[in-house]
Amino acid sequence: MTLQQILFIVISLVVLGSAFLVVTTRNLFHAALFLVVSFFGVAGFYVLLDAGFFAAAQVLVYIGAISILFIFAVMLTRDVITAQRGNSQWQAAAFVGAFLFLLMAILLGPFSITIRGHQFGNANWPFDMAGDAIKAAPSNFVGTMGSGLVSMDQYGVPFLLAGVLLLVAMVGAIWVARELRGREAEKAAAETAIDDADMDMNQPVQETLPLVDTNEAHESHDAAAVEKH
Amino acid sequence: MTVFEVINNILKIAGDAFAGLITSILGAGGLADFVVMLVAALIICALCAVAFMGLTYAERKIVARIQDRIGPNQAGPYGVLQPIADGIKMFTKEDTTPAEADRWVYNLAPLVIAVFALLTYAVIPFAPGVVGTNLNIGVFYVIAVGSGSTVAILMAGWGSNNKYSLLGAFRTVAQLVGYEVPMLLNVLPVVMLSGSMSLVDIIERQTLGNGGNGIPFILVVPLSALIFLISGIAETGRSPFDLLEAESEIVAGFHVEYSGMKFALFFLGEYVNALAVSIMFTVLFMGGYAGPILPPYVWLLLKVAAVFTILMWLRGTLPRVRVDQLMSFNWKFLVPMSIVNVILIMIIGKVFVADPVTAQVNGGIAVPPLVQAMILFTSNVIVLLIGLLMVSRQARQLRLTEAEDLDRRAAHNKAAAAKVVAQ
Repeated sequence: MTLQQILFIVISLVVLGSAFLVVTTRNLFHAALFLVVSFFGVAGFYVLLDAGFFAAAQVLVYIGAISILFIFAVMLTRDVITAQRGNSQWQAAAFVGAFLFLLMAILLGPFSITIRGHQFGNANWPFDMAGDAIKAAPSNFVGTMGSGLVSMDQYGVPFLLAGVLLLVAMVGAIWVARELRGREAEKAAAETAIDDADMDMNQPVQETLPLVDTNEAHESHDAAAVEKH
Repeated sequence: MTVFEVINNILKIAGDAFAGLITSILGAGGLADFVVMLVAALIICALCAVAFMGLTYAERKIVARIQDRIGPNQAGPYGVLQPIADGIKMFTKEDTTPAEADRWVYNLAPLVIAVFALLTYAVIPFAPGVVGTNLNIGVFYVIAVGSGSTVAILMAGWGSNNKYSLLGAFRTVAQLVGYEVPMLLNVLPVVMLSGSMSLVDIIERQTLGNGGNGIPFILVVPLSALIFLISGIAETGRSPFDLLEAESEIVAGFHVEYSGMKFALFFLGEYVNALAVSIMFTVLFMGGYAGPILPPYVWLLLKVAAVFTILMWLRGTLPRVRVDQLMSFNWKFLVPMSIVNVILIMIIGKVFVADPVTAQVNGGIAVPPLVQAMILFTSNVIVLLIGLLMVSRQARQLRLTEAEDLDRRAAHNKAAAAKVVAQ
């Protein structure tokens, strides 16, 4: 066995083991951390495939951002941390999972099905791990990928579409946050009005000053304010 | 033959002899290479630990001078043995674990933070040819590995089962994830101008010959350099951005419960990260090891020392920022300015092309590299000035609004008091 094969087996065990623990651990925070380990192992696979860019992207995106979000969601919902697993749809989930696993096993496994002249599945089993299955990336991998992404003949359109999708998500997030903020501002305004009433010492509010001053007001009060401070 | 050449030769011979010895024992092949690399990695880690000791001493002395104190002066002459005394103290301290702590997470966190801090050094070039691995995505790797320490801090904050720790961890995420954005945006101009993400290539572009023009990027894109330094300080959680361990608010943040060697590992992680940021600043914007007469590693040492002194200077002089100030400074000032800057640099880089061949092929005005650098410099300064103007105007308006609000309330109270008196 070569060093690469040993590393492949070790990393596979780490990835599979931690992925198994993600779904079996009762402590959700631990589950999130095992997920981080699993992601890290996947980054290791990319390194083995000589795809350093993907490895770094995996660490940056999945460990640096997505796991952090997971951990945060877990931390902020404290009650679920040690809750019993009680998913009423586990049978359906198990069925779908088993079906997808079988599908993948058929496609990647020793079988091959020929339907109307199209061959589905892989006849070359078992894989030669250092040869066929693990194909090293081309030497100028990042350059090839970059030019492929911006060239209209290759992946330019999907790349742009993905960009548009992200933009839509961002605008949507801002819109949702704005909506909330508007409501909060109304609430705050109501509270301020109550504060003002309190300040008048139980007198009815007679002259309410405008809460938001106009720019002209700023200019006219400018000199006075500067003098006071 | 100068002294430096002698040192160079001795180091080279020692390295070759060691590699030869290992190869003769294990036979040429993967295993021998693996062992040699492992030893090299261990040497870099040991150097980091030594640098950590030196940095703690230097920082304590320099910050003491800034604050009109003497600093450590008991252990050895001028207190130079202070780091060793600190180390002995750390080793002999009791290693405590809180009773209700999440044991595994709590004990793993210091290790994880130290590992992520040391991983950065795998791609840093110390001298021509002296680099762990010259990855073609070096910059990207450094940023990716830097984001890993967030997980470690979250582990420490959660595992300690202490509310101050958890508050520190929450602040960390907001700060580290937020300041990653301007950091990335300001590495981008360097990558665009040098046309490579490899740290070695970026240094070559800033030296004369080998396709470089000898102009360090700090003179080409000074605004990017400034924002990179600011966000780098925030990423390492040093003062004035030390909200994760603000002593006066949340005791010590995420490492309240840690003592002894585990605390020392956090301390090491902090300093090694700060050193990595200094080295990255040197490599990206100051030409790394490049420089005349003196050998490369001396130049690197001098430049890194200069950058780190700035970090210490800031730590000794600036007060801590508030959480809301920290966030609005990032999202309302640094990020918009960085985006404008990046877009401007993109346009200028395409219109005024330094390489005549590229100008012929892709269009654009062919100019000498120096002229292009000057145009970029001017655009950077203009963006910075406009940004500062806008911020100062906004701050003035905010002050006036607050003052008016106070005036209004005072008038209200006065009128109310007068009414009471009249009654």
